[in-house]
Amino acid sequence: MNVYNFETPSRQSLKGVIVLFAISLFRIIKKGIAVVFVFAIGYIRDFEIVNNHYLKFVLGFIILLVTLLIISILKYITFKFHTDKNYFFLNQGIINKEQITIAKSKIQNVYIKQNFVQQLINVVALSIETAGDDKTEIEIHALSKQKAKALKEALLKRDSNEINEDTTVKEAYFKASIKQLLLEGISENHFRSLVIIFGVFVGGYVEFKDFINSLNVETNLKHYFEYDELEILTFIVFNMSLLVIVLIIAISFSLIKIIIINFNLKVVETTNGLEISKGLFNKIALHLKKKRIQSITLKTNHFKQFLGLYSLKFAQTMGNKKQKERLSIIGINKLEANELIDKFYKDVFKNLNEQKPEQYFIRVQVIRWSFMILLINILIFLISPYALFLNIPILLLVILHIKLSYKKAYFNIDDKYFVKGSGGLIETSTDVLELHKVQSVELMQSVFQKRHNIASIIIYSGAKGLTIPHITKTHAQRIVDYILFKVESQHKNWM
Amino acid sequence: MFTNTQIDIETLPKVADIDLIPIEKSYFKIIVFNLCFVLIGVIGALLGLKFLIEDSEFDKIATILIIALIVFFVIQFIVLALGFKNRKYALREKDIIYSKGLLNFSTTILPFNRVQHVEISRSFLARKLNLATLEVYTAGESGSDLKIEGLSDNVAESINAYLTTMLNERV
Repeated sequence: MNVYNFETPSRQSLKGVIVLFAISLFRIIKKGIAVVFVFAIGYIRDFEIVNNHYLKFVLGFIILLVTLLIISILKYITFKFHTDKNYFFLNQGIINKEQITIAKSKIQNVYIKQNFVQQLINVVALSIETAGDDKTEIEIHALSKQKAKALKEALLKRDSNEINEDTTVKEAYFKASIKQLLLEGISENHFRSLVIIFGVFVGGYVEFKDFINSLNVETNLKHYFEYDELEILTFIVFNMSLLVIVLIIAISFSLIKIIIINFNLKVVETTNGLEISKGLFNKIALHLKKKRIQSITLKTNHFKQFLGLYSLKFAQTMGNKKQKERLSIIGINKLEANELIDKFYKDVFKNLNEQKPEQYFIRVQVIRWSFMILLINILIFLISPYALFLNIPILLLVILHIKLSYKKAYFNIDDKYFVKGSGGLIETSTDVLELHKVQSVELMQSVFQKRHNIASIIIYSGAKGLTIPHITKTHAQRIVDYILFKVESQHKNWM
Repeated sequence: MFTNTQIDIETLPKVADIDLIPIEKSYFKIIVFNLCFVLIGVIGALLGLKFLIEDSEFDKIATILIIALIVFFVIQFIVLALGFKNRKYALREKDIIYSKGLLNFSTTILPFNRVQHVEISRSFLARKLNLATLEVYTAGESGSDLKIEGLSDNVAESINAYLTTMLNERV
């Protein structure tokens, strides 16, 4: 029974004012944090300014808060929504009035989520995603749980078989424990963050050192390492410890991020899809429909493989980055992952007949990396010629990387699916795509490829393009012809 | 009756067998114009700065930059001129094909049953030369869309009309 009437325009829960207020305050803080930080450092140096202008700051802050509150109230008053049989209507805007109409048939996802503030005051947000660009995401910030559920149902009502799925509550197919999430975070590819940190470190080193100097840390530290005659050693140890500290901070950050985002990750099977819920501060629950999936990616890396951890990513049409993050399941083991893939793509990994790219693949990689190594060497040489020994580990890693990326590269096209394996030194990923969801195909040949009669193909789905690199041209042409035949000869809907 | 016979891949219609139609030659004028427009704009800006900042150091840098830019544009011009003949398109019964590129030759094929919408646009110069740009959009990311520049007005219009009727019939 639907106690709520969505046919007449209604506002969100009055508590929405608080949520709107909190959101805009948070946004301002986020944007202004750099400015505040700069000022704060200035104040630490000069306390008098703070004392003299204390009142002004407080007053300014209060004015800001009041303005935000008024804006929030106005936003709340002007935000009205209702539905009819086929459409969802939304009116909003304080000065620039806006009416948004969404056809129910175009709604891709409706999900309920809860951020920290919403959890405190016991309301939920309802997010409506359409298959357009990311601007067409609509969020109703504060609804009571029951009302949100009812609205969700009303929005998905057009398909009579789709409502029933909520009533057939099945047991959780997969639940990620804290331990799994922790392992997942630790075994993340920290190589990347290491590189980024290294860059930032070298770049910001001078300024950072000044800052440290001003805090007199170095003199304190020098106490610990009293090798005045071995200043170089002090220098190295000091820098190394800094690097280690920064690295540890970076790892803990990504660890905390993973746990916060995926806290209580639960996957429930429904009749025509999956229900994924997760999040600590931002609780979200989203429903993944089988027909909306454009491609699935299975990812792991060597450490994760050892620990039996895999991640699954579901790509939908035009998913923005945020959405892509949401549509992933982490900490799943291989068996479960394959079972889930099999649920959407039946028998996809059966009779998998792996085809490899041509040897030319290795050649391209070697040439590309040679340039990289040359560049790195110039950099190293500029910093210190003594560091040229770094070439040994770099060279070894690159050779291993090239070997592994060739080893991991394969593809297969059968009657229904396109499967692609790829990877490198650390990561391994498998992409799966249904052939009838292909949007367009591109056959590519560079001048270098032409000399060897090699070509590459990009297969575009509704969500992303998958490349088959470096195969013989005749083979590529056959594949293109076959995919086009598959897409054009059947009238299957891609969404 | 349902049949499911094996497909002989060799008998499938081949994209490679299609005779592609080159785009209008007059479009090359637009390419040259666009290139010159950017080149003159950038060089003009640099010369202006040179005039404003009377500094011999800057003078040197600006001169080097201008020479580098001219070299870059000459190379660009050669690549575009040689690659121009590769800009070809074709329509088949069930898809539209467009190929382009010199250093990176690519052929994109977009099945009609994946078209989301079609757009025709004309720049100021294109209107003078009776040319049009046809853009065919799919639901996928931008890479999967198809953009044919330098079609003659009537060709663009007729393809547009053809695709639009097909789109309407589908729904």
